[in-house]
Amino acid sequence: MDEKVPRSKIIETEIPMGTVHPAALEPYRVRLFVEDEIVQEAEITIGVNHRGIERIMEGLPVEKANSLTEKICGICSNAHIWNSCRTAEMGLGIEIPERALYIRIIMGELERLHSHFLYLAHGCEVLAHETFSMRVFYLREIVMELLAMIGGNRVQYGCSVLGGVRPRCDLDESKLLRLKEDMDKVEEGLTDFANRFTSDSIVMSRISGIGVLPQKQALKLAVTGPTLRATGVARDLRTTMFEYDNFDFNVVTQPDGDVKSNLLIRALESFESIKIIRQAIVNIPEGKVVNRDWEMFDTGINESYIEVPRGTLYHSYALESGRVRHSIIRTPSMSNIGAMQYACIGDQITDAQLSIVQCDPCFTCSDRTIEIIRR
Amino acid sequence: MGIKSFSRARAIHVMLVYTGGCNGCDIEIVNSILSPRFDAEQYNVFLTWNPREADVLVVTGPVTYHNRKPLEAIYDAIPNPKLVVAAGSCALMGGVYKNCFADIPSEEIEGPVENIIPVDAKVPGCAVRPQDVLAGVVSLLPTLLDAD
Repeated sequence: MDEKVPRSKIIETEIPMGTVHPAALEPYRVRLFVEDEIVQEAEITIGVNHRGIERIMEGLPVEKANSLTEKICGICSNAHIWNSCRTAEMGLGIEIPERALYIRIIMGELERLHSHFLYLAHGCEVLAHETFSMRVFYLREIVMELLAMIGGNRVQYGCSVLGGVRPRCDLDESKLLRLKEDMDKVEEGLTDFANRFTSDSIVMSRISGIGVLPQKQALKLAVTGPTLRATGVARDLRTTMFEYDNFDFNVVTQPDGDVKSNLLIRALESFESIKIIRQAIVNIPEGKVVNRDWEMFDTGINESYIEVPRGTLYHSYALESGRVRHSIIRTPSMSNIGAMQYACIGDQITDAQLSIVQCDPCFTCSDRTIEIIRR
Repeated sequence: MGIKSFSRARAIHVMLVYTGGCNGCDIEIVNSILSPRFDAEQYNVFLTWNPREADVLVVTGPVTYHNRKPLEAIYDAIPNPKLVVAAGSCALMGGVYKNCFADIPSEEIEGPVENIIPVDAKVPGCAVRPQDVLAGVVSLLPTLLDAD
């Protein structure tokens, strides 16, 4: 695979795509440098979506800033508010009730399910296989309704608050029962989809060996999340998080790093998420869901890393009389951009969009800070 | 009813433009038109990504500085009659991004959408619900069909 290393000669034919392009949901710009329809070099430019969340967060009370981080991303919104609350909780030493941790994990895993289903649906759509796409969208609707049931909104649920979860998100018996029943439905639907998908020889031959990202290159580019695990590296931050101590799950890997591995790993991880949710439903402890008994004091820079559907998410900020200072947010797609560029190389132009989509891009998250250089 | 509006009534094409929101609204809109649960295709509404083909432009997000020109270009490329739906709090009033710290407007945000292109229907919500998007698009259909 080392012959995929870009050559140093000048390539004259350039195909620009974007910033608004049919195959991409989000605005970003891709420049493909091609020779005989084979992509020799790719360049992804983001920055169109920059809204300056960190600037808006600066100086806000920490509770407000937490709910603002939710607006970074509409796909993994819960992950952002969870990690932002976790940052302050670790800095202030707030003890979180056990029940709240379980509810956070249920929300986090439900979100992973809906994010992975969206990925599968979008991937099938880019493959131009609308039937599969529709099937996954239908499955995803079950998860979305569960999220709406727990959080009250289909997208930004605002589940975590400092010291636990919102009392609105507490799970009573009937909600747990519905969660349990719907997990069975999702598992049944997903098994059916996975069987149909893997036994469809046309689709499988279309996606095998496309957009290959070798393991060595993935480690070199600091790729995170399922995209890294699809190259055979069993690295998952959930194994190190104390929230997941009581849960039994496997870190799924796939060997090849191509589109097939990436699609399959999302499907297999969804099964692991269902397993985690089931364990949480059975073992959820009784008690209160939020600990209001804490004091605010000034802290230095607090940091927190968690595993979100796309990889590792990093939040850090300092607290100064209850207000947020020097906020830094690093989202997983930021480090996966290198993988997207590399995966395009060596394939046809037709496969370029597929190679980008296989890394699960979320450029809305990634448009973080613009450094202004004054000359 | 002219032949143009007769044929248009059988295939209303919606184009979604994303101008820097958080992705939540976009996925809900794609969901409302594509997914089998909400299925806008039962009202002969289809999703397209080609401005030349589109009749209704759905705009989400608080138009960021870099997205202003693409949005104007897309609006100009759509043939008449054209209608614009602004969907989501960001598109209606700039959302949480419009002001950084109290009333100081953020330099990154050019929105709301009304400042840039004329808006015919507004769909509120953060994020919009698919049902509301459908209601917004369907409410525009009579205007579009009476056009010529």
